[in-house]
Amino acid sequence: MKKILIAALMLATMAACGDDDDKKDLVYPEIAVNQLDAIPNDCHEYRRGEVINVNYVFTDDTELGKFNIEIHNNFDHHSHSTSATECTMDPAKSPVNPWVFNHDYDIPSGQREYRAAVEIAIPSHIDTGDYHFMVRLTDKAGWQQIKAVSIKVVE
Amino acid sequence: MISTLLAAALLMSAPADSAVVDSTVVLKDVTVSGNSSHNYQMRSTLSGLQISHSFMENNFAGSLMQTLESVPGVKAMNIGSGQSKPAIRGLGFNRMAVVEDGIKHEGQQWGDDHGLEIDQFAIDRAEVIKGPAALFYGSDAIGGVLSLYSNHIPIEKFEGSVQLFGRTNNEQLGVSAKVGGRLGNFFYRANATLINYADFQVPTDSIQYYSYFIKLKDRRLRNTAGRERDWSVMLGWDGYDFHTDLRLSSNWAKSGFFANAHGLEVRLSDIDYDKSRRDIDLPYQSVQHYKLLSHTLWKGDNVTLDANLAYQHNRREEHSEPVSHGYMPRPGDSLERRFSKSTATASVKAEWRLGEHHTLTTGASVEYQHNRRGGWGFIIPDFETLQCGAFASHKYTINEHWVLNAGMRYDHGRTHIHSYNDWYKTPVAPGDSVYMERSADQRRNFNSFTWSAGVNYNTGGWVLKANVGKSFRIPIPKELGADGINYHIFRYEKGQAHLDPEQSYQLDAGIHWSGKGLTVQVDPYLNYFPNYIYLNPTSDYVEGLQLYQYTQARVLRWGLEAQVNYEFTSHWSAEVKGEYLYARQRSGAKKGYTLPFSTPWSADATVKYSYSWRGNGFVSLNAHIVGDQNEIVPPEKPTPGYWTLNAQAGKHFDLGRCTLKVTLHADNLLNRRYYDHTSYYRLIDVPEPGRNFSLMIGVDF
Repeated sequence: MKKILIAALMLATMAACGDDDDKKDLVYPEIAVNQLDAIPNDCHEYRRGEVINVNYVFTDDTELGKFNIEIHNNFDHHSHSTSATECTMDPAKSPVNPWVFNHDYDIPSGQREYRAAVEIAIPSHIDTGDYHFMVRLTDKAGWQQIKAVSIKVVE
Repeated sequence: MISTLLAAALLMSAPADSAVVDSTVVLKDVTVSGNSSHNYQMRSTLSGLQISHSFMENNFAGSLMQTLESVPGVKAMNIGSGQSKPAIRGLGFNRMAVVEDGIKHEGQQWGDDHGLEIDQFAIDRAEVIKGPAALFYGSDAIGGVLSLYSNHIPIEKFEGSVQLFGRTNNEQLGVSAKVGGRLGNFFYRANATLINYADFQVPTDSIQYYSYFIKLKDRRLRNTAGRERDWSVMLGWDGYDFHTDLRLSSNWAKSGFFANAHGLEVRLSDIDYDKSRRDIDLPYQSVQHYKLLSHTLWKGDNVTLDANLAYQHNRREEHSEPVSHGYMPRPGDSLERRFSKSTATASVKAEWRLGEHHTLTTGASVEYQHNRRGGWGFIIPDFETLQCGAFASHKYTINEHWVLNAGMRYDHGRTHIHSYNDWYKTPVAPGDSVYMERSADQRRNFNSFTWSAGVNYNTGGWVLKANVGKSFRIPIPKELGADGINYHIFRYEKGQAHLDPEQSYQLDAGIHWSGKGLTVQVDPYLNYFPNYIYLNPTSDYVEGLQLYQYTQARVLRWGLEAQVNYEFTSHWSAEVKGEYLYARQRSGAKKGYTLPFSTPWSADATVKYSYSWRGNGFVSLNAHIVGDQNEIVPPEKPTPGYWTLNAQAGKHFDLGRCTLKVTLHADNLLNRRYYDHTSYYRLIDVPEPGRNFSLMIGVDF
């Protein structure tokens, strides 16, 4: 009985001390949207048919994973961010033919810093108005960073 | 407090009226409680604890789970409002079993924000088994079993109780009534509970989440109000060697989700959430759970037969404002998810007394589940499952000091998962779009062999226990067949069709000593999973959302609970207790990380003054201390430690044929702002409720 107990406690102690050397990534990747050349940024306006030359710098302490860009309408004014700049919004409206964009992108493996340069063409037939430009970034360990940028598409 | 519990535990083992239990509670003699504990601890080689009705009344803390949280190793995972779900030694969801009157409770227990659909005021007593209990309970009982009993047999012609209760934090008001009676061998019982609560308050003016800044009105979490309506009726026949009863219960609850951050997306809505703190707007959840349970017991000379039959129906709906997402157009209604699950269970157990020293227990059970989904959000497919199992367990009482037991069990399970296709089209190539398949039709069979063996030794004031056992869990259809967006937490979840049954090996020990008013209890354990099923956050994206995929990893866990009680005088007593848990993934993508929702260490120190003046009463003061939790896994955040000051008082007034009971519970007296690492709201940075007073006034007649 006592032997079992002692054995159990010893095992437990070994278990506790045995693997604490494992290196764990506990840090989120970063999306630098506040730098001057970050494109797009809050309140940027684009015309239909124009190309958005996306330009963001991603960093991570260990290794970057993948990123995704998703664009959806904000015609219903559904969310807000803490950005110092409050953009002027068009009146709320119902979507008719809203722009839906959703694309996943790879980052070459082993990168701790990566400049995302992506060209996104704005279709010429979509509804104009307020859109959310969402950037999602993971690192290899599965930590995710999200940035929401408010943009406007005009005639 | 604990001696009250222990004293009550002894009294409870006789089929006594709850009123009798309550009036006899206050420490007739400390040794009585000691012996009771002793006898109970010698009954099983696993670590267990009985919780009496009076303990539950005295420790009333808003919900059953929050009340049971005073048991070391038991945790209430807060899902907001007054609701929470249980976890034993860090294992919750489908890794522990909640059993009501011998039948496993089957709701949608896999969900992060799903509460326990049981009326806490109908519960007469409870038992917590910590450790692998697969032998008697089959799949899921890995972390342990929370066994709830609502089958107390009335002894009077007519008896009952009425309880009124309230909480200040969420302005909860409730009433619960019970009646029952016995006419010869026949008896009946009925109860009903009504609860209504407002949005709960947190000690902060705003919540910051990612880049979003959410201002709170009057420090209240918008739209966390709720209501609950429960009832049950029971009829039975109780004779000398034969007992049978039939119980029908209904549990209905509706509660709102925190409106600004349902899941992980911050939303601004046209709904005026601040117009009332009692109304429930979108998003909200509602659950209706019916349970019909029949229990029959026959006692022969050398054998006791026990048979349970049950049917449960759980209908759960989650509503939220319809919005378009990706290629999904805006749905026409608010029904995001509906789960309609029926469960039929049958179990038989026979206890054979083979002479003075040997007892053999054999049993078999069958369970059939039928689940259908609805709504525009897909998370789990339609499925049917069938599970059957049989076990035999032998107990050998060598002499008054030594008890050995060993048993084994075999289970067979079948799962049929239906295919599911989106209700909207997704473009797959230029000019081509399809109704994407989210779940493939699949059939799986599972077999599992489990066992358990243990030894008890007692001498003088000591009880020493050791148990080693294997338990298992059949993968749930969500783990096998999920393939879609979880809109609650905005991630893409993908199952794995070929997952094996999760297995767990556990070594438990128990060291108990009691004497001279002092009780010491230490329960260490060591637990190893060769294939823990884990929802792994990957670096991949699917349809714009981070992919979380079910995988299996080796996991090692160990921990212990410790508790010391001391009776200084007949009036003063003190209690110190604590728990610690360590968990590590030893293989797979998250090797070196812990498991999600890892419980941090915690300790409690309580002093209690008991007195007797026209009935028994007590006052106690408690400090609850919780350590930092830096053991995290994506997407969790480290949670700093905290401590709270809490107080309790209870008083019984004997009024001739009636007893008036008053219990006051004060939580977080200093109104500290802290986070609970295991709370559903931790991920969105919502602190735990601030100062709260709970009052319960009851009359037993």
